[in-house]
Amino acid sequence: MSEIPLIQVRGLHKSFGKLEVLRGVSFEVKRGEVMAIIGPSGSGKSTLLRCLNFLEEYQAGEVLFDNTLVGYRDSAAGRRKLDSERNIRRIRARLGMVFQSFNLFPHKTVLENVIEGPVVVKGQPRAEAEAEARTLIARVGLTDKLDTYPSKLSGGQQQRAAIARALAMQPAAMLFDEPTSSLDPELVGEVLEVMQSLAADGMTMVVVTHEMGFARRVADRVMMMDEGEIVELTPPEQIFTKPESPRTAEFLRRVLH
Amino acid sequence: MSYTWQWQLIWDFRQVFVRGVEVTVMLTWWALLIGLGLGLLLGLMRSSRLAVLRWPAAVYIDIFRATPILVQLVWIYYALPILLGLQMGNIVAASVGIGLHAAAYIAEIFRAGIESIDRGQSDAAKSLGMGYGQAMRRIILPQAVRRMVPPFINEFATLMKLTTLGSVLAVNELLHEAENLINNTYRPLEVYTIVAVVFGLMIYPFIWLSQRLERRWKTRG
Repeated sequence: MSEIPLIQVRGLHKSFGKLEVLRGVSFEVKRGEVMAIIGPSGSGKSTLLRCLNFLEEYQAGEVLFDNTLVGYRDSAAGRRKLDSERNIRRIRARLGMVFQSFNLFPHKTVLENVIEGPVVVKGQPRAEAEAEARTLIARVGLTDKLDTYPSKLSGGQQQRAAIARALAMQPAAMLFDEPTSSLDPELVGEVLEVMQSLAADGMTMVVVTHEMGFARRVADRVMMMDEGEIVELTPPEQIFTKPESPRTAEFLRRVLH
Repeated sequence: MSYTWQWQLIWDFRQVFVRGVEVTVMLTWWALLIGLGLGLLLGLMRSSRLAVLRWPAAVYIDIFRATPILVQLVWIYYALPILLGLQMGNIVAASVGIGLHAAAYIAEIFRAGIESIDRGQSDAAKSLGMGYGQAMRRIILPQAVRRMVPPFINEFATLMKLTTLGSVLAVNELLHEAENLINNTYRPLEVYTIVAVVFGLMIYPFIWLSQRLERRWKTRG
């Protein structure tokens, strides 16, 4: 069982109207693997990530999570139908997601944000959820902010709270959509540290990022995307020292100045 | 020209105003209930992704906003019974009419409120595995309601004033009672002044509350 990759993507196509954003993307993420996705803006990185938990519908190809097709049901006749909301929700609940703009619930405190998923989605008793939430919040270093509303937190603190919120669902994998891109430079480190410790604990992670240092240090493999396609997908040493594609080389030259 | 105000006469007839206020409050209450319930439903339909839900709501809202409420009331009271064989008392007809009318405006308040919430909020709710209903109830509406309070209080004040149109269906609300009183006393200036003051006293507390809530929520974000 454990040889089957946790996430399998085959021939994924996605367009917004006439604009083709993903043109046949295929890759796999093994359990415990950390994959960084890099590439110029507009290359389809975020869209790809959002297809993994079906926040975006895709037109062709397939995304398999834990060997289950995400978002659709294929009939025996080969016709594809949208899956039931219940099945889609079940998969989403097992995939934690962290957003560029944090998206904490502003009308709830840090603690309330973190217990929201377990209590509402899983039906976990509140006291139990709170006890687990306190542990997670301690882990991201926000114990003194339990009862604080998001608007009173710095960007870095908000993002750490958002990570705790996603972890509270005990996800099988975590998706990060440019988690540090809207942070002031001095706050990036504290978020990356939390992510690095998650990786060290064996969490399966897919991270869309512009932090090349993080990708190089933490990722097992780095995917370079451009114009809706995978340009290359290799271990970090290789992509950062001798990239195969001139497009990768050009991109890295620009971001690493 | 000098006019002698006769307030004593008005005081003698204070029971008339009390009766009128009772009916006005009752009309407001029922119309508000209908307007809120139907308005929420229409507002959700209007912001739905499904055209089968969006269209009927849009047509309803446009019809009620594009025609005079006076006509709507008269039509509901006199024409609906002929079409549906549904006979309503005048107070029921007035409540329903004003409620249906207010629903169109309240629906737009709900829709605008829901659409003003950043898409990231529903993304975050969905990514936790929440369904549409859970996300609406727990995440989107609690935030949207705060933004809806000022326009909603506005609509509430309008609605309460619209109950005076019940007089065309001979509902004994405050204005109707007042006009009867004028016919008996010939003191229109005093009576209308009192009517204005009473409406002001009924509506102002809500405006005050709305402003306070707005200020409190602003400090908490």
